[in-house]
Order: sequence, then structure tokens, then C-alpha cells
Amino acid sequence: MKSKIYISAIITASVLTVSGCNSLEQPPVNQYTDANYWNEERAEFMVNSAYAAMYNAGRMWDDVSMGDDVINGRSTNNPGRLIKTGQATASTSRFNGEWDSMYTGIKFCHLFLDNIANIDVKNPEKISRLTAEARFVRAYLFFRLATLYGDVPFFTHDILSSEARTIGKTSKEEIIGFVRDELEDIIQVLPKRDDLTKEESGRITKGAAVMLLARTWLYENNWAEVERLTGFLIDRQDEYGSYSLFPSYRGLFEEENEYNSEVILDRAFVPNFITWSDIQDMIPLSRDGRVSDRVPVQALVDCYLTTGGYAIDEEGTDYDPGHPYDNRDPRMTATVIYDGYDWEANVNDWFPTKGNIEINPATSTTEDAYAGPNSNGSVTGYYLRKWYAPQSKGSASSGLNLIMMRYADVLLMYAEAALEQGRLDESIWNRTIRPIRQRAGFTADRALDFPSGKTKDELRKIVRNERRCELAIEGLRYFDIMRWDIGAEVFSGEVQGAYFTDHTGIFLKHIPERNYLWAIPQSEIDLNENLKPQNPGY
Amino acid sequence: MKPCIGGMFATAFLLIGSIQALADTHPFTEKAFTVQAQPVKGTVVDTEGNPLVGVGVFVKGTANGTFTDMDGNFSIQASPGDILVFSSVGFEDLEIDAGSGVTRIVMQEDRELLDEVIVIGYGTTTRRSVTGSVEAVRGEMLENRPVANVTQALQGAAANVIVQRRSYNPNSENNNFNIRGISTITDNSPLFVIDGLVTEQSVLNNLNPNDIESVSVLKDAGTSAIYGSRSSNGVILITTKKGRKSEKTSIHLSTLAGFNVPQFLFHATEGYANATLTNLALTNSGNAPRFTPDQIRDLAAHRDEENWLYYQLYRPALQQDYNASITGGSEKSSFMISIGYHDQQSNYHSIPRFGAQRYNMRVNVSTSLGPLSLTGTMAYSRNNSLSSTGSSLEINASRIPSYYYYKFKTDDGRYLVNDVVNDFSSLGQLESGSFNKFRDNFLTTSVTGELKLFTGLKVRGIVGADIINHTRFTRNFPQQYWAGEDATEPRSVNEQAFYTSNWNDDRYRMNTQLLLDYDNSFGRHNVSGLLGVTNESYTYSSNEIAKAYVEHELGIATDKTKEAGNITGNTGQDTAYRTSITSVLGRLAYNYDQRYYGEFSFRYDGSSKFHKDYRWGFFPSISAGWRISSEPFMEWFKENAGDLKFRGSWGILGNQSVGNFDRFTRYGVDGTSYAFDNTLVTTASFSLGNDELTWEKTRTFNIGFDASLFRGTLDISMDFFHKHTWDILMGPQTPGVLGAGLPRVNYGAMDNKGWELTAKYNLKAGSTNHSFSFNLADSKNKLVSFPGHEEIVHGEELWVIRKEGVQWNAFYGYKMDGLFQSYEEIENSAIPAGLSVQPGDIKRKDINGDGEITEEDRVILGHAFPRYTFGFTYNFAWRGFDLSMLLQGVGKREQMIRGELVEPFHENYSYVIYKHQLDFWTPTHTDARYPRLSAQGSPSDVNNWSKDWGTDIFIFDMKYIRLKNIAVGYTLPSRISMKAGMQKCRLYLNAQDLFTLCPTSFVDPETTEMGSNMTEGSGNSARNYPNIRYFGLGLDITF
Repeated sequence: MKSKIYISAIITASVLTVSGCNSLEQPPVNQYTDANYWNEERAEFMVNSAYAAMYNAGRMWDDVSMGDDVINGRSTNNPGRLIKTGQATASTSRFNGEWDSMYTGIKFCHLFLDNIANIDVKNPEKISRLTAEARFVRAYLFFRLATLYGDVPFFTHDILSSEARTIGKTSKEEIIGFVRDELEDIIQVLPKRDDLTKEESGRITKGAAVMLLARTWLYENNWAEVERLTGFLIDRQDEYGSYSLFPSYRGLFEEENEYNSEVILDRAFVPNFITWSDIQDMIPLSRDGRVSDRVPVQALVDCYLTTGGYAIDEEGTDYDPGHPYDNRDPRMTATVIYDGYDWEANVNDWFPTKGNIEINPATSTTEDAYAGPNSNGSVTGYYLRKWYAPQSKGSASSGLNLIMMRYADVLLMYAEAALEQGRLDESIWNRTIRPIRQRAGFTADRALDFPSGKTKDELRKIVRNERRCELAIEGLRYFDIMRWDIGAEVFSGEVQGAYFTDHTGIFLKHIPERNYLWAIPQSEIDLNENLKPQNPGY
Repeated sequence: MKPCIGGMFATAFLLIGSIQALADTHPFTEKAFTVQAQPVKGTVVDTEGNPLVGVGVFVKGTANGTFTDMDGNFSIQASPGDILVFSSVGFEDLEIDAGSGVTRIVMQEDRELLDEVIVIGYGTTTRRSVTGSVEAVRGEMLENRPVANVTQALQGAAANVIVQRRSYNPNSENNNFNIRGISTITDNSPLFVIDGLVTEQSVLNNLNPNDIESVSVLKDAGTSAIYGSRSSNGVILITTKKGRKSEKTSIHLSTLAGFNVPQFLFHATEGYANATLTNLALTNSGNAPRFTPDQIRDLAAHRDEENWLYYQLYRPALQQDYNASITGGSEKSSFMISIGYHDQQSNYHSIPRFGAQRYNMRVNVSTSLGPLSLTGTMAYSRNNSLSSTGSSLEINASRIPSYYYYKFKTDDGRYLVNDVVNDFSSLGQLESGSFNKFRDNFLTTSVTGELKLFTGLKVRGIVGADIINHTRFTRNFPQQYWAGEDATEPRSVNEQAFYTSNWNDDRYRMNTQLLLDYDNSFGRHNVSGLLGVTNESYTYSSNEIAKAYVEHELGIATDKTKEAGNITGNTGQDTAYRTSITSVLGRLAYNYDQRYYGEFSFRYDGSSKFHKDYRWGFFPSISAGWRISSEPFMEWFKENAGDLKFRGSWGILGNQSVGNFDRFTRYGVDGTSYAFDNTLVTTASFSLGNDELTWEKTRTFNIGFDASLFRGTLDISMDFFHKHTWDILMGPQTPGVLGAGLPRVNYGAMDNKGWELTAKYNLKAGSTNHSFSFNLADSKNKLVSFPGHEEIVHGEELWVIRKEGVQWNAFYGYKMDGLFQSYEEIENSAIPAGLSVQPGDIKRKDINGDGEITEEDRVILGHAFPRYTFGFTYNFAWRGFDLSMLLQGVGKREQMIRGELVEPFHENYSYVIYKHQLDFWTPTHTDARYPRLSAQGSPSDVNNWSKDWGTDIFIFDMKYIRLKNIAVGYTLPSRISMKAGMQKCRLYLNAQDLFTLCPTSFVDPETTEMGSNMTEGSGNSARNYPNIRYFGLGLDITF
């Protein structure tokens, strides 16, 4: 009996001790490791990630906030507001956030480019196209880095952490030179827009590479190159892809018109799956706005012409200060929501709350009424219209693609290049600004016809104003301010709102010694001495 | 009480009744009656000759028993040769031969602390023999407390056991648990072991506190090295109650019910004042006032109608506890069966009523079969919790001013939004019917077999399993909000947000142990040894499904639900992981004459988290003790005072707190990040790994003494420790240029030093009994080595600094130098570049004296980890009355408080100035705590409150002392209770958190929003559930 107890106890104990144990070798089951990730199919996933990292809604809206079309009236710590009120320091969050996210995007490109060489490739054509796309994204991000920060760390392969802690800065010129070489190179490899199948909509094309290359020259005011490259997209469409203005300005920013003939490159969003919802802090409170933060300013509203083709302060203007929003450039209505805005006609008619948007506190009884600064309402008396495309009632989330490059910009760049070279004439006008204004909805001759007899400075004012109106709230304005060096002019004085508003109490301030450059993030310099010196003015 | 709970108790009583019946017909009982039994009579007295009432007297090995009466007399049927057992709480058990003829039985008070059995790793010892630092908390300390879990009950119970609350919400009950402070930056949580099996904190928190026999806190290497690689933060050993062999069956019932009353610590100013001060802030910055004099007069006229929205979110809530247990034993077997029910309603004013309920059942049985003894434990607990799906409920009510016209609801029941929070209301969210329903199951079971091989040597095998299953069912109902009482249409409802979701997880932990245990004495030489192998395997997976656009009432899918993207979720494969630790462990202890002690223990651990070349770690410890009071030259001390023992230990402990797969460079794939032509494509993510990861090590040195003075009435222990941790598993700050987060590496070192003092004193004066126990402790850490030597991380309003030579994550920022009092002073002072200030604004100290305020002028402003933590327990008994109280507190702690509770009208987010913020600067009130009021975004506002220029205005002194618990009870005289068949019947009142002293009045000093590593940059924003005060009534019956 006793021995049976011993034997059975020992056997049971031994069995239990050994059984039911997990092995000490436990690789992850829902992630790949270096041992099994890299093959042709999964290499492509890395390029898709690079696409996602190239641009996003946060980046566009942050860029919009840096310009002078809007003001973040409520969030006093918004980096765009801090920058243009002269309060940014090297610790301002965006300097660090953008830096990190751009280098993250570059890492995806490098992981693909470094590893693709070691992969057994079955479809070399596809891989060479993916390679060109990855090189485009890398060029796009380095161009943006150099534009915003000047000299930055530059490398063309994936780096190790030891290198990341010691790498120094490369000059902006060298980086931009590399970007241009890359783009020139991949233009040859990339497909034309016309060669894309429908399923390939949104992929990087020759046109996008030409446009990016043109931008690199535009930001240096190299007009000959801008004219040459934008000319490719206007005059040599059989070679570089066919583009044209989409018939409706408002329709450009609607989901059903994604990937239309005007779009050169956009950032993909998909309802329910990949969405952005920044707009909830820009639209009227009565139309599902949460708070009003990023709102248009009077200066933007003022730049829109009258339907008669007059600037509001032009001699002989038909602008009526008593009814400031009547008879104006239709693009204003497609961009800004102002007092008395006809929501049903200009936005949609399914919204349950009916009636116009009433903002003037003298007449409004709605929550949209102007209530002064430090309130939830708009600080300027304006709300934002452009990009408003919610998926459903009560939700600000939107699956609308964000356009990074479009054909109207090409035309405007071409016109500007002609102007700066003293060659803007009726013929160029009629090929560039006239169709843009026609598409906008102007019919008056004064608005459509070439303004003859103007000096170059007067024409410049017109072209720049046209650019501002057409491309408002698309994240490009800050870069225009930078290359035109008009910071001292546009970032000064108190931000103005609609005629019925009180002081905003927000004063813009340009710091010339900063030379429009951002600070190298303080946290980066803390980790890597070789990033010194800091950019001027910080 | 819900019907089902009533049913449960009915079942419980039936159960207990049938066990009682079984016990009554137990074979042993029958045997007792077959032998010639005769009455044995006698009197039981204490050492001073006072008769003892209610002493249990029974015949060993039978259920035949009785109690002494008022005069200490008893009478029991027994045969010669039977053994009579006398037992009473507070006295040592006594056994007497029934035939001895002794009639006056003297019982010794059970006061000899030195013989207290203390549970240690894989065994037990006595207080007398301990050479390391271990503190035992007896189960009584945890019983009958209105606490949600054991962790809470341990607050203040032992020195350097630091429990900090995260929230008072019964649905998100969560505590920080630190033993001896912060020794590493990665994970400072102790290891939790219940009945010898390693488990996790959630299992501990679902244990019934009334089932606990004792809690041992292992603090040093001498005691914890046997737990090896996970012991560096100390070990909490929980032992549950067991029956004892040959013990009379006894039934214990207890109940405690009471109310939790919310305590509001901060208050909005009255409406007219809030409006006036809003105007002042605006006009101070050159803006136009917001409120007209008429509006302010209107607010003043309606001030009696004000009912601040924040107050309306809460109501007093019921909390109830019921426990029933039965213990007993026969000659060969013993058992303990218990059930418990804990129900804490939420204080939220919600529909349905939120709250958490816990059901506990436990069966502990053991039996012996010749040389083999078997013990089985099975514990099941179920946690039912119903909570809000709403978020930011507190802040979204408390940032709305108290103006009378702000209402949650119209008289006809429509929910209103307003111009402060205009998308939803907190009360609307609470009353929408939306809920998260959690159903958590915990099953812990183990079988232990112990076989005696020969004298002193046993082999022990244990198999145990923790099976944990969490489920969450979420329903979101639409709630309509109206912009104002006159609004004709409600705000549109986001249909997408109305969803139904199910989430489940499955965790399975398997513990196996095989141990050889030796214990023998050779004359004065006492030897014990232990050798064993163990494995702990853990498997996890979870799954979820969520459907959006569901039918409003039923919550089931609609046509819209079936569209792409409206059903989401993940399967068990998406979340699965497994880990495993295999170990060899051992201990060798020797003492000579209980005077000289030496001990060696070790553990050799292998973990699946590390590459095989770095997988195994060896963790040894040695300890020694010297009972100096047993030396001949200390004879006088032993005679006149008591006991004195010095002890010390040294060892290396480990920590393996890294992600399960941190050693691998990993590629994740995801299908919802990018698309072409609105068709989703697969994207990849990337995380860097480090193959060379290995154990984090902590060298621990401990020295201390235990003294027993005044003939054993005063016991004092004191310990000093020094922990040095190296190869810390840290995730270094990453240069953004790398483009990916750096994996953890073994880098850096930290020192942690401190001490503990505990004292216990018993005083008996006449018929009163007093017992006092006190503990006081401190710890302080210092980073010794850190890559890059310095990191300054922005967290909310301030920074935290990580720098060699200073405490981990100290608050860092600008030091205030008062407020500017004049333009002249401004002229002559340094101010931050680019800012302009006015009198009444914050002045910063120019630390380096260079005439500028730059980042170089930041200094260390404080530290959030509690120091000089203490607990004081006092128990008093007089006749049937008893009183017990627990005072607990912290002697030094600084806390950053962020946001709206410091800054009036915070960031255009809050529109409130709270009453505690009224001490602001004005030209006639110049010695103010806070700067002058200014408009948001104005230069003064940036200077005073901007996160880029954070000062110690956000630092508050959080030392406190709190009357944690007080109970007053009365035990019925046994002559009365025994008539009802009760051995004991006690009625008591209990109150929790009745009284607090703290220099900072507007936040709860006990609560922190930081984790147990102090790593989060956050402070305490009081965006928490309010703290609650408990009042209850309890009843405690033993049959």
C-alpha cells in the first residue's frame, strides 16, 4: 500500500511538472521578424507605409495654421499660432513632431530600398516602379525637411542608432541637389497618369515628380526652371500625363470626385477606415462643430474679388461694405462661412438644423453667434467651409482625400514664372488665370480678361492674390509667404475678424532673424551635439 | 439586495447547514458516544486568575464541544484518554487529558510574537528565526474593512508598503503598489504569490480579504532571492485560511453595509463672481468685458438657484459586504469553505446604476493518507462591473461655470448642451443608458501533494492554475442634445458612434513545482534545506467584435452595419502570446541553538523573453543572524527586557520587465492605413529589437534588528537597506532621425536607500486592553548611471528630469521668485525672451544670473514619490467594547497639479475660476499666491501659465495624515449570545477616510495619476472621480 502511494505520487508529480509547460522559445505569432519578413510581396507593404507617411491631415492643417488665412483662436498653444505670433521656442511641439514623423517616413523608404536588393525578384518591372515611388517619397520628405529646417541630417540608407546619435547636418543646397537628381532620374521610370489603371488611382506618377521638381525651383524663385517644368505639364501632356481643371471648384473637394483630372497627387482617405476629423473645430457649432479653433480671418475674406472683377479696395469697386458678402468670388462661398451663409444651398440640405448660419450677435440667437475671444465660438466671426465632407450626420470624420498637388497650381506657377520674367501677356493669361477664374464661376469680362496696362508690380499683386484665393486652406500659403518674403507684412498687427467683432487680442509677429526656418527640435539637440548650432533666432 | 444575491445566501446557509449536519453525524462523533463517556467539569482562568468567558472546549478529534460560561465554567462529556482542547482568541491553545482530574485550567496569553509562524518563499519560519526583512500582516487587519480589494486594505499596514490610489471609482479601482520605493525605471511592482503560486495583481484584487490568513511582505534579498528574476521589487505572499485538523467546526458570518458619500474638494465660485472675474481677466489684457453689468446683476439675483453641474453628477451610494465561512477538521482531514459578496455601487448619477460586484467562493481542503498528505485549493471569483462609456465626465461638468442658466436637463427631460461644452453633456452620457458591462472570471486552483520520505525529508509537488477570463460588452445608445431650452431641433446624433461590441480575453497560467524539503535538528544544530524545480507558463489571447450603426433599441446590426468598415474586430490570433519561465531553486539554513543563524538561497531562472544566449540568470543571497540576547553576557537583558537579534542579508535579485518579444526586430502588417482608388492596401510597421537583452539585476543589502522589550510587551524592528540596480531594461530616448523607437537595452543604474521602523506595544490595564502598532519608513532613489546622462521630458505643465545623481523623474522647471510688484521691478529683472509682463505676473528666478531667463534656469522642483510613509494602528478593548483606528499618511511628497485646478479659465477650456484660486494678485492684494488674472493667449497669460515656461506654481505640498479607518464595536456577552447558539456576536460601526490633514485642500492627497514607476509626466488634475467617505454598520457572528 505504502509503496503504491510513493510510486503513484512520484509519477504524478513528474508528469505534471513536465507537462503543460510552454517552451522557452517563443517568437511572436502575429508579427514577422527579420527571419521571415522580407519577400517581394511584403516589400511592397513598406512602400505603402511610405505613402501613408508622406502626408496626412495633421500635416496639412498644421501647415494651414502657419499661414495667414486662418487663426487658431482658441488653442493658445497651437504651434502654428505660436510660430506666427513669435512665441515659438525650440521646444515647441511641432518642431519635434514633424521632424520625427518625416524621418519615420524616410525610414520606410530606406527599409525598402536597402532590402530590395537582397530579395529574389519575380516581377522586376513592378519592383523598379516601387523603387521609384520610394525614392519619390524620400525626395518629398527631404525637400520638406530642408525647406522647413534648412540644414538637416541627410543619409540615403537606413541608419543605426549609434549613427543617429552622432550624425551631423548636411547643407540645404546639397540635400535639394540630391532631391532634384533623384526626381530627374525617376521621372523616366514612373508611369504617366494616363497609364494608371483605375485600381492604381493615387499612385505616384511622372506628373507628380515633375510637379515636385518644379516646386523645388519655385521655392528658390528660379523662374526659368519653374516655367520649363510646369510647361511640361501644360504643353507636353502626351509625354507627362494629361491634366485639366475640374469643372467645379466646390466639387474638387467632394468625395465623389476623387482622382479627377485636376489631381496630380493626393493623400488617400477611405470612409470608415482611414479618416480625418480635424474639421470639427472649424465648422459652425450649430452644424456639429465642437469648438471653433482654426477659423478664417478677415484678411482672407478681403482678398476675394467681387463678381464684377474688382478688388474690394480698388478704385471704382462695386463692393458694398453694407453687404460685404454679396456678389463676391464664388470661391469665397466655397471656402469661408460668413454671417448669413446659406447652408442648405452651399453645403447640403440633409442637415437637420435648418436656416442660415447667423453669426452677427446683433441678430443671431444661435450658438454660432460671435461671443468674443475666449469663448467657444469663432474669434473672427467666420467658420470654415472648404474640405467639409463628413461621412454622416453628427460625425466630423471624413474619408475625403487631401490634395497635395493639383493642376490649377501648375497653371498659377506658370503664370507667376512668366510674370516674374516679364512675359505675362494676354496669351499666357488666357491659358492660365482666365480658365481658373472661369472655373471658379466668374462671368464678368473684367474678371476674366487680361488686365492690360498694369505695371509688373500691379500684375504681381493680381497673380499672388489669385494664388491665395484659389489655393486657400490647402497648406501652401506659408511656403508662398516664405518665398515671397512677405512675413513682415502679413504677420504683423492684430488678427482681424468680421466687422461685427471686437478685438481678437491676438497679435502676429514676424521674427526676421529666424529667416522662416524652424528650430532644430531641442530634444534632438539634447541627444546629438552635432546638430548644433541651432537655427538663428531660437 | 438583488434576488439573485438573496438566493446565493440562501444557498450558502443551506450549504453550511448541511455541512453542520454532516459534521454532527461524523463517524468520530458516533465513536465518541460508543465509549463510556462521563461529564468532565472545570474552570478556565487566565494567568491572573480571572475567569475566561467563551473559551471553546472540545474533545480532540470529535465535533463534541462546548464553551465556558460567565464564570469560566464548563462541562463536557468525555472518556478517560480523550484529549480536551481549549481554545480562545488571544490565548495559546491548550490540551489536557480528560482523565487527568485537573479542574482549574490556566491559559497563557498568546503574546509571544517570536513564535509567530511567518510564511516565506516555499516554506515557513518563525519570527524568532528570521534573518531577512519580512513583515507579516495578520488577516484580522484586513477583515471587516469596507475596502474593494486587498491592495487597498494593505495601505498603511506595513512599513514601506506604499499603496497609492489612482481612482475612487469602483469601476476603475486601481492602485499603485510599491515596496521600498523606486529601484528601477521599468517596473516597480512587486511579485504576487498566493498560496505558493505566482499570480498577478488582478487575481489578488479579486481575492476575498476575509479569506486571508496572513500576508507576508518580503523586502530584502535574504527572503526574496528564492523568487529570483522577478523579486527585485519585493514579494507579497498571501496565505489563505485553512481548516485545522481536529478542530471543532465553526461557522462565521459577517456583514457590513454602508454608504459612500462623495466629497467635493474644489468648488466653483458663485456665478456673479465668476462673470465679474471673467471680465477682469479680459479687461486686464485690454479686451472688452464679456458680461454686461446687467448680466452680472442678473446672475447675482439668481444666485440661490445655482446648482453647479459638477455636483449633480453624483449621489451617495450603497456598499455592502457579506461573508460566510465554515472551518473544521477531523483527525485526518480539514476544510475551509467560504463565500463572499461585495457590492459597491457607483456614485455616478447614471441610468442604469453603475457599480461593481464581486462574488467569491473558496474551498480549501486537505487530507492525509499514510505518508502522503494532499491539499487542494479552489477559489473562484466573479467580478461584475457596469460602468459608463462616457469619458471626461468630471472635467466636462466642472469646467462649466455655476451660472444658474446652465442646466443638464430641461423640466421636460431634454438634455441640454451649452456654449462651453456643446457636443454632449456629462449627465446626458451617464443617463443615456450606454454602458460597459464587464464580466470577469477568476478561477485559481491547485493541488499539493507532500510525501514524507524519511525523517526530516519530504518531497512536495504542486500543480496550480490561474484561469482568468475578462469579458466586456458595450452598448452605446443615442442621446439627443439640445442647444438650448428654446431650440426647435436637437443636435444631430452621430449614428456611427452607436455600436455594440464584445471583447473577451483568455489568460491561462500554469504553475508546476517539485520540491525537496529537509528539516532536522541534531542537538543544538538545526538544519533545513530546500531544492526544487518549477515552471510557470502563461498563455494569452483576446478577441473582439464591434458593430457600428446598430438598431437603436435592440443594438443589433442594420443594413448600414453590413457596409464595409462598420463591423470591426480582431481574433485571438491577432493578440496571442505565450511566455514561460523555468527555474531551479534552493535554500540551506542552519542555526546553532537559535543563537547563530546562517542561510543561503538561490534561484536559477530561464525566461522565454530573452535570447537563449542571455536567457539564464542566477540570483543568490546569503543572510545571517545573531541573537545576542541569548549570549551569557546578556543574561540581565534577557531577564529584564526580552529578546534582541541582529540580522543582515545580501543578495542579487532580478527583474525581467520587458515586452515579450522585445528581443526580435518585428514587422507588423495592417490593412487600414493606406488605399489606392479607395481600396485598402496592406502596410507594414516596424519595431527594432535587441537580441542581447538580459536580466535586470538588483544587489540588495539589508541590516536590521528585532528587539522585544518590557517583557515582550514592546516589539521593535528596524531595517536599513541599500539597493543597487544595474543593467536596467530601459527604452532610451530616441533621436527622431532614426525614424523608429529604440528597443530596450540593458543600460543604466539606480541606487535606492531607505529604512523602516516598526513598533508594537501591548498594554493591559485592569480590564482594558490597548494595542498600538506603528510603522514609519523612507526610501530615496538616485540615478547612478544613465545614457546621455540627462533627459528632460515635457509632461503637462512641467518637465521631469532624468539625470545622474538625482531622483528619478524629479519635477523640473522654473523657480518662481514671487510676483512682479512694479514696472521698476520688471525693468530690473530677467524675463523670458519674447515675452512681456506686467505687475502681478510671475517672476522667475534667474538661476545662473546671466540676466536672461532661458532653459538653463530650470531647476528641480520636487518629487512625486511618497517619503516618510507611516501607519498607526490603535486597538482598544474594554469588556465587550472595542475600538480600532488606522491613521495613515505621507511625510513628504510634492505633486504637480495640472491645468484648470491651478490656472483660472484654463486655456479657453475651462471657463471657471474655482474658490481656491481667488488668492490672486491685484494692486491692492499684492502678497497673493497666484498671479493677476489675464486673458487667455495674452502675453501675461503666456508668461504665467504657458507649458513652455512652467514654474513651481504648479507644485503643491501633498504630505498628509488621514484617519483611514475607524471602527467601534460591541460584542454581546456570551451568556446572551450563547443562548442563541452563537459563540460570538459583535456589532460595529465603521467609517473610512473620515478625516484628513493636508496643506493642499482642493485635491485628494492620496490620489495620484502617475503609475508606480513615476514615469508618466502627468500630475494630479482632479479630473478623477471625487473621493468618497464611507459610513457603515457591521455584524459579525460566529457559531
